[in-house]
Amino acid sequence: MFNLSRKKLIHIILPVCFVALLGSCLFFLKKPAQKIFKPQLSFIGLVKREFAGIIFYHRNMVKAERLQGEIDLLRLRLFDMREIYQENTRLKEIFKFKQNSSRRLLPARVIGRSPESWSSMVIIDRGLESGLRPGMVVISPQGLVGSILESSDGSSKVLLITDPNQGISSIVQRSRQEGLVNGTLGTNLIMRYLPDEAQIAPGDIIVTSELSRAYPKGLLVGKVISVGHDFSGLNRYALVRPVADLANIEEVLVILS
Amino acid sequence: MRKIYIPLAIVVLTTLELAWPAFLDFFYCKPDLLLAFAVSLVFYADFKTAFLFGTLSGLAKDLFLFRGVAVNTFCFGALVYLVYRVSRQISTEDFYVRLLIVLAAALLNNFVTGLNAAAGLEGMASGGVPAGIFLRNLLISSFYTVLLAPAVFRLAKKTAL
Repeated sequence: MFNLSRKKLIHIILPVCFVALLGSCLFFLKKPAQKIFKPQLSFIGLVKREFAGIIFYHRNMVKAERLQGEIDLLRLRLFDMREIYQENTRLKEIFKFKQNSSRRLLPARVIGRSPESWSSMVIIDRGLESGLRPGMVVISPQGLVGSILESSDGSSKVLLITDPNQGISSIVQRSRQEGLVNGTLGTNLIMRYLPDEAQIAPGDIIVTSELSRAYPKGLLVGKVISVGHDFSGLNRYALVRPVADLANIEEVLVILS
Repeated sequence: MRKIYIPLAIVVLTTLELAWPAFLDFFYCKPDLLLAFAVSLVFYADFKTAFLFGTLSGLAKDLFLFRGVAVNTFCFGALVYLVYRVSRQISTEDFYVRLLIVLAAALLNNFVTGLNAAAGLEGMASGGVPAGIFLRNLLISSFYTVLLAPAVFRLAKKTAL
C-alpha cells in the first residue's frame, strides 16, 4: 500500500520532527526572543512616537496659528464693537436729550481741534449749509460747550468755554449770585467779580444767567471746586469745573433756535 | 525737484496738528510741528524757498485759528529770516545747535502768540491767561516741539533736498 522508499521517508519525517521540536520549544524561546528584540523594538517605538509627536506638534502648531489669527480678528471685532457700543450709548444719550429738549438742536461731530495750545477750539462737521451761524450756542447732554465763532459751508469753529476769550454771564444756582465765567486754557473755568459777601461754596452749580445775551438762560456750566480772594482783596473768585468733558468731546449739539 | 513735496508736507503737518490726539497732549500742550518744519527748511533749503514755505506754514496754521491778525504768518516769516541771519553768523551744521535754534524759535513764537491770546479777540472780553498757564504753555509747548523736531528735520531734509 505504501510504496515509499527510505529516502523519501526521511524527507518527510525529518521536517515533521523538526517542526514538532520547534513547536515544543516555542514556549521556552519566547522569553529570550523578546529579550533580544526589546531594544530594537523600543528604539523603533521611540522613533515612531517622536515622529508622531512631530506630526502632532506641527499639526497643532498650524492649528494654533490659525486659532491665534482668529483670536486677533475677534479681538479686533470686539474692540470695534466696544467702540460702536460706546458711540451708540453716546448717541442714544444725545438723542434722548434732543427729544426731551424744547430747543431745536442739531447734532454735530467734532472733526478737529485747535492747532496750538493758546486757544481752546474744536472744528465740527456742520456749517452754513446746515443752518449754522456764528454766535450759535453749542452744548452737550452734560452742559455748555461753547459758541460758534466762524462757519464755512461744511464746518464750523467752536470756541470752547475753556478759552480765555469766552465770557459767560452766569449765576450760582443755589444763591442766585451773579458773576462772569471765563476760560483759563486749563481744565477749570474762573468765575470773577463776586462780591466779598457772595454766597458761594464748593459744590455749588453754576448756570448761565438771563443777563447773558450770547447764551440762553439756565444752561449748566459747571460745579464750583474752590473759592478765593483776588489780588485786590475786594472781590472773590471761584474755580469752576466744567460739567462737559471738553478735552475728549466727540459729539455736540448746536442750538438752532 | 523734490521741492514740490514741501506743500504736501505742510498739508500733512497741518492735518496732524488739527487731528493731534488728546492723549498725546502733554499737560494740555501740543507740539508746533509747522514751526519746526519752517525753521528746519532754513537748514536744508535756500533762503527764498525757506521763507516762502515757512510763511505758508504759518498761514496754514492761522487758517484754522480764529484771530483777526495772522500772527503765525508774520511770526514764521520773521523767524525764518532771523534763523537765516543766525545761520550766517554761526555754524548750524551741528544737530544740537539746530535743536537749540528750534527751541529759541518756539519760545519766541509761543511768547508772541501767548501775548496775543491773552490780549483777547476783537469785541470779546478776554479774561486773560493766568501766569501759571502762560508759563506752562510757553515752556512745555516749546520743549515738546524740540522733542519732535528730529522727525520734522528728516521730513524737511527729504522734501527740500
